[in-house]
Formats: sequence, C-alpha cells, structure tokens
Amino acid sequence: MFEKILIANRSEIALRVIRACKEMGIRTVAVYSQADADSLHVQLADEAVCIGPPRSGESYLKIDRIISAAELGDVEAIHPGYGFLSENAHFAEVCESCNIKFIGPTAANIRAMGDKIAARNTVKKAKVPVVPGSDGPVTSEDDAKKWAREIGYPVIMKAQSGGGGRGLRVAHNEGTLIKAFHAAQTEGQAAFGDAGVYLEKYVENPHHIEIQILSDGRKVLHLGERDCSIQRRHQKLIEESPSPLMQMKEHKNLRRDICKAAVRAAETIKYVNAGTIEFIVDDRGNFYFIEMNTRVQVEHPVTEEITKVDIVKEQIRIAAGEELPFKQGDIDARIGKTYAIECRINAEDPFNNFAPSPGKIDLYYAPGGYGVRVDSHCYGGYTIPPYYDSLIAKVIAIGPDRKTALDRMSRALDEFIIRGIKTTIPFQKMVLKDLNFRRGRYSTNFVETFMAASRGTMQGV
Amino acid sequence: MELDNIKEIIRLMKQNDLREFELENGDFKVRIKRGGVEAAQAAPSVMVSPPAPSAAPASAPASAPAAPAPAAPRVNTKDILSPMVGTFYLSPAPDQPPFVKVGDKVETNTVVCIIEAMKVMNEIKAEIKGVVTEVLVENGKPVEFGQPLFRVQVA
Repeated sequence: MFEKILIANRSEIALRVIRACKEMGIRTVAVYSQADADSLHVQLADEAVCIGPPRSGESYLKIDRIISAAELGDVEAIHPGYGFLSENAHFAEVCESCNIKFIGPTAANIRAMGDKIAARNTVKKAKVPVVPGSDGPVTSEDDAKKWAREIGYPVIMKAQSGGGGRGLRVAHNEGTLIKAFHAAQTEGQAAFGDAGVYLEKYVENPHHIEIQILSDGRKVLHLGERDCSIQRRHQKLIEESPSPLMQMKEHKNLRRDICKAAVRAAETIKYVNAGTIEFIVDDRGNFYFIEMNTRVQVEHPVTEEITKVDIVKEQIRIAAGEELPFKQGDIDARIGKTYAIECRINAEDPFNNFAPSPGKIDLYYAPGGYGVRVDSHCYGGYTIPPYYDSLIAKVIAIGPDRKTALDRMSRALDEFIIRGIKTTIPFQKMVLKDLNFRRGRYSTNFVETFMAASRGTMQGV
Repeated sequence: MELDNIKEIIRLMKQNDLREFELENGDFKVRIKRGGVEAAQAAPSVMVSPPAPSAAPASAPASAPAAPAPAAPRVNTKDILSPMVGTFYLSPAPDQPPFVKVGDKVETNTVVCIIEAMKVMNEIKAEIKGVVTEVLVENGKPVEFGQPLFRVQVA
C-alpha cells in the first residue's frame, strides 16, 4: 500500500481524498495556488506545496510543478480528483514515466473515452446502444444539415473533446442548426482546445442516468445508477439513487439491462479503477450511451451511501494493485435497500440568474444528525476565491425509502446556514417541495420548466 | 521609578507574554507596550512621563532604549521569489562558489541560483536590480512557488 500520496486538486474533493488517506495511514501532500493558502485541504494535509498564482492554468494545471512537488515530497502516487488533470492522458503518462502511480484509469482508457466520437464507435462495437448520430466529426454547415436531415430533428451539436455538460447546443430546425454548429465549435475550442464537433439525435425529455463502474483490472463491477436529471444548463444540481424511473414497475428490467451495458462498455476498453458511464433514457425505457467519465465524480457520495462502498479508498487500493473485496452479487443485494439524494450547494444567487457569488463566509453552520452527510471544505471566515468552480458543499441525505431521504434533505437544508454569500440552497429547497419532484416524475427539462413556473419568485431568470 | 524597576517589569512581561502594562502613581505614569511586526524580536516601547511638569507634552516618548529594527522587510527591499517548485541550489555545482552572496550587486539578468525540478537545472534570474542583503533559503532545500529566496536592497 502507498505510504504517501499527493492530491493534485483542491476544495472538497482534495479534502475527500485526504480523509481516505488518513484512514488508511497514508501520508498526504497537498498542492495549492496562492488563492488557496487558507484552504482546509492545505491545513489538513501532512505537507503542502504552493504551486502557482491563483489562475488554474498557472497552478493546478501545471504538470511540471505538480510532478516536482511530488518528487520533493517523495510520494508514490497522485490522486487527481475530478476536473483539472484527472482526465488528462498526458498527465497520466508523465506520472508513469516518473514512476509515480496515477490513481485512476490508464492513459489508454482516458484517451479511448476522451474523444467522444471514438468512444461512441467503441461502445457500439460492444453492442451498447448509442444515440443515432453522425458517424464522425461534422466538418461543415452542409455536413451538419445532411446529418440532421438523416437523423431527424431535434438534434444536438456536441464538442468532440467536451465533457462536464459543456460545448452542447440543441437545434430544432435547420435555421437554428447553423448557429448551434458554430456555437458548439467555438465553445469546444475555448473550453477544450478542440473545435471538432459531432451531431446526435436529441432525445426529448430525457432522463440522465449514469452507472458507477469500479474495476480492479481483473473484473469490472457496477455499483448501480445515479439519476442526475435535475440539471441547469447541463450542470447537475441534485442527484439521487435509486432512480425513480428505474423503480417504476414498467421499467423493472431497465437497471439490469443498463448496468450490463455499462459493464460491457468498460470491459471493451479494459477499463481500470473508477469511472462513470452516462446514458440518456427516454420515457419508454430506451437507453443510449452518451459518454464515459474516466474519473471519480462529484456525486460519488450518493453511490457510496447506497452500496456502503468507499469509492475513493477503493480507487487507492486498486491503484496499489489490490483486488476489489466484494462481488457483484454483494452490491446487487444492497441496491434498493437504501435511498440517497445529494444537493450540490453552489456559491450562486438563484434569484439573479445563478450569478456567481464568491466572497467571505461570515457564518457557516452545516447540518448534521442521523442520515445526513456533508462534504465541504468551507468554514466560517473562509473566503471563496473567484478563480475556480462555485461548488461549496455537497449535502447527502440517506433513508430507507425515498420519502425519508427527501424529508431528511429538506430538514438538512433548512438548518444549513451560510451567511456572507448567496447560495443555491433556497432553490434546492423549492425543488424538494415540488410535487412532481416528490413523485419522482422529472426529466432533464425539469429545472427549466420549474423556473419558468416559479418566475414570480425567481425574477431575473 | 528606577530603570532597574522598568527592566524588571519588561522581563516579567516577556516571561508571562503580556502585551501592555500601565501604571499611574500621582504625577508619574508609565506605559509599556510589547509587540509589533515581529513581536518576539521587537523591543518593548516604553513611554515614561517625566516626574516634573515640562513643556513637552506628557505623552512624548521618553528616550528609552530605541527598539532595534525587527527582522521584517524594510521599505526599500524587495524579495526575489521562486517562480517554480523544486530544489534550491546556491552554486552551479557543489564544488563551485555560490552565484551570489550577501553584499553582491545584482542586475535583472543576474543568475542568482538554480532551482532543480524534475532533473532539469533551471537558472533563476534576479529580475530586480540592487544589492543582496540576505539569503533566505538553505542550499539544497525544497522551495515552493512564490517562496522568497533572496532579500535585495533596491536602488
């Protein structure tokens, strides 16, 4: 087992990894930008190295400085967290060449799934259904029009090197198609350095269901699904498991089929470590592969709570060459026995078009009690820097059934006090009271519809 | 009050980590305050009112021992900061003399040290002009981004 690990990340996920390491007796090295000198992960790590000025491009994305810090700290492995370098195949390779274990999949795994077009083609060969789409990149306006006519509107343009819900544009007709084509290209170039785009059929009222995968290199297991349909502009706000859709009688085989497909997709590329396969599911239970995320995800606690598996610890164990200590049957037996729901609390003002709200937290009181988990790096007096994402806390509520979990979440949000900045808590509280949400009747257009209906309360939207 | 008494008060303050002491006795008033930029090193400032009325305002500081300059950066010095993460070396090679030492003049292009990162020896330039007053890192020690390496008295 490793004796020392460097965490190449920040905020709540760095804290999450440090916690797992501490429990395993592994010493930790944190890296931080000058904007994060007061961050909790820096305080709790055994050692900390400043690697640059505030901007990510000059700190958390600086491979040379991170490797240098790793060598100075004499670490054996690096955990990349999510975002930043976690899905950077080149970084994974640099780690290997420096004899430092990258805690995650292989560089080949990352490449196979990083190119979204290649990923579609790969899983198609494993008989995993994919959304009908252009077989390769769409290179011109005429190309886009031709494919859209063949697939049938509505369609969605996607950035080839995209991810995290960015570089996506829906088009309902030829008129808006051209705009969508150029917009996706521009965003792809700006966010991912690649202007390549492809086209897919846009499944209306889709449910976003993702399957957690864990592989120790000998066998690939799934840990059930997460329903992440509650999104705003493709950014997840609430996630839950089991998915209300999958619990419906008419979809009783859906979980079995979709999880099998996910495992097949991972096996096809000989995937190692933790990953998540995202699917779009329509109301009839047809599911289609969208993409695979070759990293641990923000919403991993939802799966941890329903399967009683510490995903970050398993990532570290797998990287150290150990076998998974459970079988698929063990996991299957746990699915359905526990319900978990997570709210992503962002430093954003939901009553002002979710404008970012960085700044100093004057008062911070996190909820607790039976069945409530809070993963956060924030504390009273902490100043949220404006240079990074706006996630400040994840609240997870657990219960033996969905109603208990929802009630518990409402209770937890009611006692979560954060003063000094605006947060999305009021918004999530409203969603939790919504009748359709409570009935489990929602798809990815829920937030848009909900906000339109609540326009009186949410002016400026 | 004798100087010895004041010395004793100061000693007791240090010993018990007290910050302020004030004593008023008729016309006599003494106020002693510890602390400053480098609290451990700043000498306490002592204000003693003269026993007899004088033209000077009562709050004028007495000519007590002047506080020695604490080891904080002076207004006209600048630090050379590390632009990378690595191991700091004062000389081009172990058997060679250091690039710079205290008292040396540096220009913007003067190589002041080497920072080794991932087996690459990077020559670090001063980027400022002046005279080296302090070497802030020991040879062979790790340095992080932004860490002060040298103190330079700028023109």
